[in-house]
Amino acid sequence: MSIRQNNSNILMGFLAFSVAFPIIVVFSAWLLPGTELWGHFSENLLPELVSSTLILLLGVGIGVSVLGTVLAYLVVMVEFPGRKWLEWALFLPFAIPAYVLAFVYLGVFDYSGYAQVWLRELTGISGFDIRSGHWAIILTFVLVFYPYVYMMARASFKRQKIQMIEAGKMLGASPFSVFWKISVPLARPAIAAGLLVTLMETLADFGVVSLFNYPTFTTAIYSAWGDFRSIEVAAQLASLLVLVAFLLIYFEKKARGKAKYYSSDVSNIKPYHANGLIGWLLFVFVFGVFMLSFAMPMLQIIIWSFEKFTQEWNPRYFDYLSSTGILTISATVLTVFVATLLALPSRRKSNSKVLQILIRFSTLGYALPGSVMAVGLLYGVQNISLISIYFGGSSINHILFGSVALLLFAYVSRFMAIAFNSTIASSEQIKPMFEQSARLLGASRFRLVKEVYLPMMTPGILAGALLVSVDVMKELPATYLLRPFGWDTLAIRVYELSAEGLYERAAIPALIMVFLGAVIMLLFNKLDRDNN
Amino acid sequence: MEYKVNKKVSILSILVIAILSTSFSAAVLAATDDSLTVYSTRKEHLIKPLFDAFTKKTGIEVKYLTGNGGALIERIKLEGKRTKADMFMTVDAGNLWYAASQNLFQPVESEVLINNIPVHLRDPEGLWTGLSVRARTIIYSTDRVNPEELSTYQDLASNKWKGRLCLRTSKKVYTKSLVASLIHHDGQKATTEVVKGWVDNLAATPNAEDTHVMSAILAGQCDVGIVNTYYFGRLQAEKPNVALKLFWANQGSTGTHVNISGAGVTKYSSNKEGSIKLLEFLSSIEAQKIYVKLNKEYPASQKLKADNLIAQWGDFNQDKMNLSVAGKNQAEAVALMQREGYR
Repeated sequence: MSIRQNNSNILMGFLAFSVAFPIIVVFSAWLLPGTELWGHFSENLLPELVSSTLILLLGVGIGVSVLGTVLAYLVVMVEFPGRKWLEWALFLPFAIPAYVLAFVYLGVFDYSGYAQVWLRELTGISGFDIRSGHWAIILTFVLVFYPYVYMMARASFKRQKIQMIEAGKMLGASPFSVFWKISVPLARPAIAAGLLVTLMETLADFGVVSLFNYPTFTTAIYSAWGDFRSIEVAAQLASLLVLVAFLLIYFEKKARGKAKYYSSDVSNIKPYHANGLIGWLLFVFVFGVFMLSFAMPMLQIIIWSFEKFTQEWNPRYFDYLSSTGILTISATVLTVFVATLLALPSRRKSNSKVLQILIRFSTLGYALPGSVMAVGLLYGVQNISLISIYFGGSSINHILFGSVALLLFAYVSRFMAIAFNSTIASSEQIKPMFEQSARLLGASRFRLVKEVYLPMMTPGILAGALLVSVDVMKELPATYLLRPFGWDTLAIRVYELSAEGLYERAAIPALIMVFLGAVIMLLFNKLDRDNN
Repeated sequence: MEYKVNKKVSILSILVIAILSTSFSAAVLAATDDSLTVYSTRKEHLIKPLFDAFTKKTGIEVKYLTGNGGALIERIKLEGKRTKADMFMTVDAGNLWYAASQNLFQPVESEVLINNIPVHLRDPEGLWTGLSVRARTIIYSTDRVNPEELSTYQDLASNKWKGRLCLRTSKKVYTKSLVASLIHHDGQKATTEVVKGWVDNLAATPNAEDTHVMSAILAGQCDVGIVNTYYFGRLQAEKPNVALKLFWANQGSTGTHVNISGAGVTKYSSNKEGSIKLLEFLSSIEAQKIYVKLNKEYPASQKLKADNLIAQWGDFNQDKMNLSVAGKNQAEAVALMQREGYR
């Protein structure tokens, strides 16, 4: 038993190490000599970047937590008009890539956008620059990332024991204090998990911040690389982002404390019914969020697509579709498979401290800007080649560069956080009792995993698969650098057109992506329902 | 138990083999024929028609991989002698200069190129060649600006433009090269003053795109800006009566700043002959016409006149500074802009 345990620990350690490989390469940039660039940056860029990054994180963090949690609570606990379809419709914004939402918002709400033109004509007020200041970009991030918190909080609310809420009600607690004192504390781990993913993604974002020309930490990373051609300083700066992510994870764990909330019951009874005016007010609020975050941008994208269809559509789109499909499916399967192995419950308890840290480390790729990670991966392969040459072998660069294998590896490394957080959340809900009784009954480890753990982890695995697949589909920088010849994806097409300022034409591949994303969402929703 | 572990291992290895073999076969395929491979930061929709025309004429197939400049350069460097890239194609002289400084290119001697492309648009050592020209100049609102008010890039820093100027972000390479050319002509001190004045005059946060600069002027957020001519050309092709006009900057002094898109043959190209053939084709009148038609750029070839739409903007004096200077001065330009808070 113990030998086997050891072997499997080593295997898991190796797996986690491999996933963390590009991150380790990025960190190794500190071994290289620093440059005078640091002086220039810390004098002229960093003070502003650090403060604006913090403001952004704070604003987006508060925004997504409040919006995601309130929406999830409403659709799970309260019966109001339109609740049924809004419950799944609120997932949909996740299918829109953040940079697409950003260019639509700019096109509509910036000074020259028709919303502002109309407002100026109507009221005579002078126009304003929504790209200056913080609120517009914070709002954009909140509207595109709230589904992370919504998704996780909703799952958690669904598993809360209805009896506890009924007890609260009987003791005379108002709906608000039931929400604040019972439901939210119980859902805290889920909310924190959603928040963590949001903050990591905000940290790594480059598309939205460059459209708004908002200074964040990634600005410095790209400036080091693009302007001053110093890939070392870029990697050094990027590794600081990883450290921040590490801290965030630490705080999330701290905030969660030792609390474990075991429950596997799902109830579909709604404790509250909002009729009449209040019901309709709730509808207007939830529907408003849906309109702003999905329906309105979609309408704009559809209008643009119609205008430019004849100019943009060509048979190459079938290639874009098939590469997007193949990459998405294989990357999702691989990522979820590795995440599940790392998150199995029996593993958790027997894990050594080192392994636990290594596993955590393997999930940090999400906080790295995609292109930095991709280049880290290229340099990693180069190092292996150098070692191989040293021992008389040959370089493997030309085999691995531009191979599907390396690209898939990058996806696994980058999106491990998403799959892992989701699977570990469901694995933590498995009561230790199950393992004990299965063991007592003489079940082998394999049977334990297959017949007890996997079925119970399925919701988490599925949720992870869903999130990863949509993320892979939207992924741009790593795909752009690492893809093999001819493997252009829809995301690349969106980027190439929008980088030339051809936003209307970019609407067509964007529309297809959103459509695919929505199909994945609906599929997930159906699986989710069948599971309950 | 043993058996089960084996099963798992075998499933895993099948997966790995499947993935690896796909990539192997891709690598092998890429190496066998006499086709050419181009790494390009120019986007697919702007290069494919050119390559198609080349293939039609010569029968040589062209494969291409588009990507971001910095990242593609790293990739070619790391691929080393076994790189698949025969040619690296990019926009902006600064990028070409940097690729050359990283030893990515080999010198090309070609009478055809020397005849077709004027000397200030080529690398002095023949490492890269400009293939299309874009002027970066002043654009103004015909409703609110009298062209007599306009003169130079430097003048946009003067007080009369306070709150009337829109600029593209300093992160964009075209801005960097423009400021690099100002440093070349006026020196660092004078250029610092100019950039400071620009920032003071801004009506809005610098825009991500030239197209945004033009819509901001149209909407009345500002009155003047600086853009690459082809963005205006595209807009004008869609809306012929748009209330914007180009103004040729610095005609009384250094000439209007021009930039290029261009390409060079990689040092470890496995098909140098074919690559030169492609480069020569791209400089030919036939290909230059495609460049102009596709993207409303100026031809780099001195043998071709601009097309109608572009011709109506009138003739202008180009800044004849050799464009490799823009590359050399770029880092200094960025540092200067960052010091002055030009985002």
